[in-house]
Amino acid sequence: MKNRILVVEDDAAIRDAVLLNLQFADYDAVAFDDGRKAADALEEDHAFDLALLDIMLPGMDGFELFSIMERFGIPVIYMTAKTDSASEIKGLRDGAEDYIVKPFDPLTLMVRIEKTLKRLGKWNAVYRFRDIVVNTETHTVTKGGEPVVLQPLEFDVFVALLRHKNMTVSRERLLSEVWGFDYLGETRMVDVKISALRRKLDLEDAIRSIPKLGYRLEDER
Amino acid sequence: MKLSKRIALLVSIVLAAVIVGVSLSLLLFARNTILSLSTEQVQRKQRTLRTSFSEMANYYARGDDSEAVHDSLIQYCFTRFSDQTSVLMRDGKPVYTGVTVDPSAYIPIDTEPYNDGTPVAVRTQGRNLLIAGSRVTVNERSYDVYVVEDVTDVYTRIRRMAWIFAGVSLSAIALGAGAVTLLVRRSTRPIMALSDAAREIADGAYEKRADVKTKDEIGTLGADFNRMAEAVETKISELEERNERQRLFIGGVTHEFKTPMTGLLLHAGLLRRANLSEQERDASLAHIEAQTAWLERLTQNLLKLTTSDEEIELQPVHIPDILDAVKDGVKPKLDACGAVLSVRCETDTLTLNPDLIHSLLNNLIVNAANAYDADAPEKPIVLSVTGRTFSVSDRGRGIPKEVQDRIFEPFFRVDKSRSKKQGGSGLGLALVKTIADAHGATITVDSEPGKGTTVSVTLP
Repeated sequence: MKNRILVVEDDAAIRDAVLLNLQFADYDAVAFDDGRKAADALEEDHAFDLALLDIMLPGMDGFELFSIMERFGIPVIYMTAKTDSASEIKGLRDGAEDYIVKPFDPLTLMVRIEKTLKRLGKWNAVYRFRDIVVNTETHTVTKGGEPVVLQPLEFDVFVALLRHKNMTVSRERLLSEVWGFDYLGETRMVDVKISALRRKLDLEDAIRSIPKLGYRLEDER
Repeated sequence: MKLSKRIALLVSIVLAAVIVGVSLSLLLFARNTILSLSTEQVQRKQRTLRTSFSEMANYYARGDDSEAVHDSLIQYCFTRFSDQTSVLMRDGKPVYTGVTVDPSAYIPIDTEPYNDGTPVAVRTQGRNLLIAGSRVTVNERSYDVYVVEDVTDVYTRIRRMAWIFAGVSLSAIALGAGAVTLLVRRSTRPIMALSDAAREIADGAYEKRADVKTKDEIGTLGADFNRMAEAVETKISELEERNERQRLFIGGVTHEFKTPMTGLLLHAGLLRRANLSEQERDASLAHIEAQTAWLERLTQNLLKLTTSDEEIELQPVHIPDILDAVKDGVKPKLDACGAVLSVRCETDTLTLNPDLIHSLLNNLIVNAANAYDADAPEKPIVLSVTGRTFSVSDRGRGIPKEVQDRIFEPFFRVDKSRSKKQGGSGLGLALVKTIADAHGATITVDSEPGKGTTVSVTLP
């Protein structure tokens, strides 16, 4: 089952971009442009694993909305343009899981969402791509039901690509997400792992090399 | 050295000099008076003795008296008038002496003054003596008659008096110096209070005042000082307030820029990195276009806002001309939303800055148009000019009472999401206010939720 994420953001451009990014990363996302509307909708349907809240919202602001989230047990990450630390601290002290300051990098937002879900034990450990199923808890991969043996680093690179599916991920970013820190000049290592993945999982067409940018795992669209 | 100590020392020295001077002259005067009294007394005594002795001796004396008879006569006559101060001498030898001390020891017979009766002060053998003497002739023999008055007591008394004077003077000086020090310290205390207050103000306690209430020059200085501190405090708080307003404004500007920036960055990122469908790509580009247009409007308004609070040029303007220009300017916007503008003008010429007033009216009309719900059946807007007052009225949603005095703040929006959808930068009314202020005009807002709003700008 996919993780469900609630987005409340009044700016259409930001809302749409965040929704797209969430979809690419295989989340089920529902968005509202008004705090009051979101609160009303929660009465009907509150099966969300996480909420991304803007703070300055029409209808009902993010801090007010937080108490409703709390009632339904939905963890919150704030997306805020407020740079003053007072509102950040207020948000976190009130129990928010995290906050991200606008303007933000969408990949960072994805990583924070994933970390939060993992910390809360809500993380959906299973990724699906075509006939490939990846279970990040058991570290197993099957293709068409048959197990495929991947080296640990190959496995991690594949999960990173899945996490940012349909988005181009630079070699540097892959290194830092997989190895945990910057391996400057070691990007050749990434290319080796990518070609192994392509061969073992038959993904020659799906893992695209984007010149000068990096790699992208693409759905057929 | 402290000023108070210096003044006290100076005044004390002057006081001491005056006291010592007065005491010394008094003492000298007293001494001279006493001495001259004694001198006169001695002189008189000597004269009486001399005259009496001389008359008596010459009366009884005979030219043929033998030496012995003569001597005993002289003795007899002299003792008739003499006392313990009297001395009679002949050729430098005492013939009769009443004094206990041998007169030859202190009476140098040949010295002239002794022989004209003028008293002379002599100090000998620890005694002070006044000696007066003169010569008489009896039977062709010369005698010297002396009065030797012992005035040691008088001198002792004068000395004692001097000591008393010195004691009294010293205590007067000490008392005076103490009093002066106290007085000076008391009169410099307000100066110290002023100094303390000045230091505290310098350290940032602008609300501090000097507690000086004396009715002298220092009191005046204190009052002036406090007036100055008042002015400084007022000015500082004005500056702080302005600073705070500017800080809030910059914070507001930053915040306003962040939202479109975020949208731009996210969509640019999607276009560059994501595997987007044709439809998604178009939507992203549309977002980028809209966000950029909004940023452009925001910067335009910011520029106007920051440039129109400077000194502005005023000129007499034919008002109907301006109104026509405004009407043309807002026509596309009004047509798009279906609002109808009617204009009434009862004024011919006013002195103002035409570009800025154009911008002001334009903003008020756009606001009025936005005050209507999209599906309102009628959207009338009235622009009227009466006397020196421009007013724009609508019959839209109206502004809640509690926020009416905040609507001119930059980035304040009564309804945030609707205003943004209508493309409002949040600066329209702030700009109106800035332009009105630059003209010295007053703004009044008459609004009731559900009934509509009238904003009036009255030129001075």
